Amino acid sequence: MNTLRALGGIVINSVERLGRASLFLYEVLLGSWELIRRFYLVVQQVYAVGVLTLLIILVSGLFVGMVLGLQGYNTLVKFGSANSLGLLVALSLVRELGPVVTALLFAGRAGSALTAEIGLMKATEQIAGMEMMAVNPITRIIAPRFLGGVIAMPLLAALFSAIGVLGGHLVGVGLLGVDAGAFWSQMQNGVDFRDDILNGVVKSVVFGVVCTWIAVFEGYDAVPTSEGVASATNRTVVYSSLAVLGLDFILTALTLGEV
Amino acid sequence: MNQPRSGAQDGDNLVDIRDVRLSLGGRQILKGITFSIPRGKVTAIMGGSGSGKTTLLNLFGGRLKPDAGQVIVDGQSVPDLKTKELYELRKRMALLFQTGALFTDLSVFENVAFPIREHTRLSEPILRKVVLMKLETVGLRGARQLMPSELSGGMARRVALARAIVMEPMMIMYDEPFTGLDPISKGVIAKLIRELNQSLGITSIVVSHDVPETCSISDYAYLVGDGRIIGQGTPAEVQQSKSEYVRQFMDGLPEGPVPYQYPAGDYVQDLLQGTA
Repeated sequence: MNTLRALGGIVINSVERLGRASLFLYEVLLGSWELIRRFYLVVQQVYAVGVLTLLIILVSGLFVGMVLGLQGYNTLVKFGSANSLGLLVALSLVRELGPVVTALLFAGRAGSALTAEIGLMKATEQIAGMEMMAVNPITRIIAPRFLGGVIAMPLLAALFSAIGVLGGHLVGVGLLGVDAGAFWSQMQNGVDFRDDILNGVVKSVVFGVVCTWIAVFEGYDAVPTSEGVASATNRTVVYSSLAVLGLDFILTALTLGEV
Repeated sequence: MNQPRSGAQDGDNLVDIRDVRLSLGGRQILKGITFSIPRGKVTAIMGGSGSGKTTLLNLFGGRLKPDAGQVIVDGQSVPDLKTKELYELRKRMALLFQTGALFTDLSVFENVAFPIREHTRLSEPILRKVVLMKLETVGLRGARQLMPSELSGGMARRVALARAIVMEPMMIMYDEPFTGLDPISKGVIAKLIRELNQSLGITSIVVSHDVPETCSISDYAYLVGDGRIIGQGTPAEVQQSKSEYVRQFMDGLPEGPVPYQYPAGDYVQDLLQGTA
């Protein structure tokens, strides 16, 4: 009976929290409109959230591309189709690995930083102070960070894929001797703009919205103590990662149209 | 300063609190409290930790709503205001937080400039002059380039004070302005509160448990305890009060109407039991 009650409590709490998060998102979107005339606030956040995440994205992208090159070559060469390596690397990156791995890294680097920053602002009464100065913290603090994340995420995913392709080229053409012309031409023929690239972009936009939403909400909703901020940061990374992986399946199923 | 006047009986009050009740987290913080803050004076609200002093400031600023009773600031009922009206009212009031609540990512100058940038479209040269004048008032014009992390506790509070007065509000609420400061900084803050009150004609509300500093600068004092007003008058009157509550607080006695012990069961029984 107690277990049932506890379970019920967890469900009710989760639904209530989801409701609050949705209302919060609505307010953030309303606040975002007001940022049109103060776009420099968003640009600052694109820098903080995007540019400062660049290093981890580029290095990861390069290595993921190199590993794809190695693994792909070893499998393809058995069927005598090593020339398709470029296509394999590009499709894997653009459709799947680019958006997903970028989103996971983004949640770990930028998402956790956003949550901690906003949570600490709350703990040190900066948000309350802003409210008392008649400045809406959702418009001034949350909305620029949200938009910054939503803008930065697809750009980061694109860079991840681009440098991943270069990594695959480095290993496939440079080390394993795949023909460079075949590598690029197969890729050019096989990658469709609408079916592959646009789908990847849609994924990264969705992941950007979800990851940044979770990060700013967890920060704003954090219990204003050091323990509260720590667990909020923790939740950001866990929820973002789970949401990205779950949504990835749904989006893939929708775009392939086979489920 | 020694005028024998009562805020509660004065017609010209900036803040009127009538029979306000409020519970937070299942605990009743305010139990039907009634008092007024006169315009243009320094009014102290004193009381022990957890007596609901800061809660009162949050009621004035509309950050909390009472369960029952009225909160009237400058003729407006704060709990009934719409968000936009509340923000308009807040533009005319300032709250100095205990920690200062400076924005850690902005310099001292930008912190003070923040409310102006948000609410007005002053040109950069005029904004600079206004900010420097306010910083000069608190003696920190030379510290304008520093970041909040480079300031001492007293300096941070003075910067926060400059930020609070930059929009020239009708009232400033000070939440524990003396806590955690050395004697010199305490004296500086006390002097500033008094001077700002006189030079700008601002209504000042000082919430504090620091008896000597607060009494030295206030025109009228309220003592809050157990969610009610337990004593009031000019600082001199309060200090001579015969009330047990007031005596315990003013003299800092560990035992009195406010118990030293947090309510607990029988001591011996508690020790003999095995579990926590």
